[in-house]
Amino acid sequence: MRGPLPTMAPINTIPYRATPDPEGDSQSSSSNSPARQDYAEESDSAFYAGNNDSQSSIGVGTFQDMAVSGEICEPPANRLPAEVLIGIFSKLTNPQDLLSCMVVSKRWARNCVDLLWHRPACTTWNKHGFICRTLSLENPYFAYRDFIKRLNLAALADGVNDGSVQPLSVCTRVERLTLTNCDGLTDSGLIGLLSGSKNLLALDISGDRQITAASMMVLAEDCKRLQGLNVSGCIKISNEAMIAVADNCKFIKRLKLNDCEQLEDSAISRFAQNCRNILEIDLHQCRMIGNTPVTELLSNGQSLRELRLANCDLIADSAFLNLPPNQTYEHLRILDLTSCARLTDRAIEKIIDFAPRLRNLVFAKCRNLTDAAVIAISKLGKNLHYLHLGHCGHITDASVVKLVQACNRIRYIDLGCCVHLTDASVTKLASLPKLRRIGLVKCSNITDESVYALAQYRSRQDRHHVRVGDEIYLPGSSLERVHLSYCTNLTLNSIVVLLNNCQKLTHLSLTGVQAFLRPDLEQFCREAPSEFTEHQRSVFCVFSGAGVTGLRRHLNHLPAHGSMDDFDQDTVEDPDDDRTMTGMMGATAINADEDADADGDEELEDIDGNVGSFGGPAT
Amino acid sequence: MSTEKVGTITLLSNDGMSVSVDRTVAERSMLIKNMLEDLGEGAITSDIPIPNVNESVLKKVIEWCEHHKNDPPTAPDDDSDSRKKTTDIEEWDQKFMQVDQEMLFEIILASNYLDIKPLLDVGCKTVANMIKGKSPEEIRKTFNITNDFTPEEEEQIRRENEWAEDR
Repeated sequence: MRGPLPTMAPINTIPYRATPDPEGDSQSSSSNSPARQDYAEESDSAFYAGNNDSQSSIGVGTFQDMAVSGEICEPPANRLPAEVLIGIFSKLTNPQDLLSCMVVSKRWARNCVDLLWHRPACTTWNKHGFICRTLSLENPYFAYRDFIKRLNLAALADGVNDGSVQPLSVCTRVERLTLTNCDGLTDSGLIGLLSGSKNLLALDISGDRQITAASMMVLAEDCKRLQGLNVSGCIKISNEAMIAVADNCKFIKRLKLNDCEQLEDSAISRFAQNCRNILEIDLHQCRMIGNTPVTELLSNGQSLRELRLANCDLIADSAFLNLPPNQTYEHLRILDLTSCARLTDRAIEKIIDFAPRLRNLVFAKCRNLTDAAVIAISKLGKNLHYLHLGHCGHITDASVVKLVQACNRIRYIDLGCCVHLTDASVTKLASLPKLRRIGLVKCSNITDESVYALAQYRSRQDRHHVRVGDEIYLPGSSLERVHLSYCTNLTLNSIVVLLNNCQKLTHLSLTGVQAFLRPDLEQFCREAPSEFTEHQRSVFCVFSGAGVTGLRRHLNHLPAHGSMDDFDQDTVEDPDDDRTMTGMMGATAINADEDADADGDEELEDIDGNVGSFGGPAT
Repeated sequence: MSTEKVGTITLLSNDGMSVSVDRTVAERSMLIKNMLEDLGEGAITSDIPIPNVNESVLKKVIEWCEHHKNDPPTAPDDDSDSRKKTTDIEEWDQKFMQVDQEMLFEIILASNYLDIKPLLDVGCKTVANMIKGKSPEEIRKTFNITNDFTPEEEEQIRRENEWAEDR
């Protein structure tokens, strides 16, 4: 028997979820935006039209949609339902194209206006002026202000003041507000923007140094759905203000409070107690923060993924030793304890025990750490991708060798100023199959042996006969950034092999290595940072990007009449050169730490691909 | 492919033509997939009417499903997919979409009705590419759309949205 088949669902029960965000990176906007839902519906059944646009469009919409049934004379484009039209418009990323669509017809305008205004481009003062002019109109064709979900004035930061944000305060459906480095902005401007913005999900006012508690109180009162907050560098914000935020904004997931010097344990504890969904918190340089809130953040926040406490130098072992026993933190992936110099091996052992899935670890300048800490870290095994142990000067080859054996997925390792390390460590590190970045600044024991190992230079018996320009290319090498400054034993020979074997290399630093302080290499060297002294400049030797390519080409095209050994000796034997360099080396030793840091300039910026995701409340 | 899914089903187009298709291919349509799951095995023995789609369009859609039958399923809210911009249409799909405008919109409507999101996506991208860089008048001409704005209204829209102009 032919069973009675159910009628197929009508078109509009199979919604095509257009992504309203031209960038496609806001799930929240598509789901949390009442305006969009209303609008799609409105266009679908045109009787609901005109909740905010001009009356004149209603009748036309109705007529067009009715006309679908008599499709003979109807152009095919008019038969597309609203959700499909929106789907098409959402593929257009250039505002000019969306504007062209708006002018095509009333139906097109209705279905594309909120995509165009979702995130109006305040990229120039000219555009900003036009946007503000439209928002100030008494009878605009559409209620544009309600379509704005994102406002970003970062491109105009230098000139932003209270006057320039005042016209934008009529937008009360904003979900993401980005005012990075708008140093001219004060509370009166920001309060206007925050007042009534009950849909606000993410606020970035980092670097807005004039902002005070007054703004934070409005934030706490009006923006209770907030999920992401970046107030880094807002030095005037008080501890009490942040307590109010913590008490009211309980959905907070991402918090960046860098350099908020007034913050005390009480505010951070309140976040730990109230906001159980915290995924990321960064307290870089909140110098008054002690052990208690750290323990609370970990023990309360079962979804905590990223904890950054760099330069919170009051933090000591008990922050971790006081954690409840038998509890693990499976979500914790990133832990930054840079310069938490009180920490000892005991804390590290505990951390590794309770957070077995840590991926990125930064213990730079935790100077007490020894081999015991490294052995503990090696328990992370394959989970460990990123490790910074710069200035952990007690570490020796013994633990590094064990670490490499256990953790073969390390992509980034920094062992700068671990002065005991020798070629034994680096040879082992060179075997890491995924190694992209290695920092060995001031590991002055290491020799060319290490560099050959990093270059995966296998035919060792031929090493002393390598001629300049010889092709030794091993496609497997994954190294991208190599830091060898102040590894004073290194010579040109090994670096040539490194350059030739590591075709992915984009950064090579050799500051203070005598063999490279040659006038013919200067043209490939990066400009020294402006704050460097004359002495620092004279030994600065960093190659990056095109500089690496240029250096490789140059070294390969040096006169091939002799071996590299010969060439190198020629240079070294120049007595004048020698004396000059020795003098400079002495001078820079005073600023040893600064040099090492300046050299490892990217150490914080590329810690993790997810750093840039701050303010994305949806994930 | 799991063995339980092997089998042929017959779709009935709105102009009364039967089209046979592998069940796995037909299940690229979430509408058909869900329906078959709801009805159980009994449904396979009877023709499934597709009242909104005529034979030529149905065959075209099936051709697409056939080619893409082994694509990995996309998550319902997979943002990485929508991140791919307009110009990203794989070569086979580009060729597939080289049809007259009537057929292009019919494919889009059918994929919307049958709930075949990846095909709908390709269709939307194709139309978006036809819009890119064109003036409003050129767009109207391309798609045969009547301008129902008065000159005053059109001027108002332009003025209120002036910020979006390239300059």
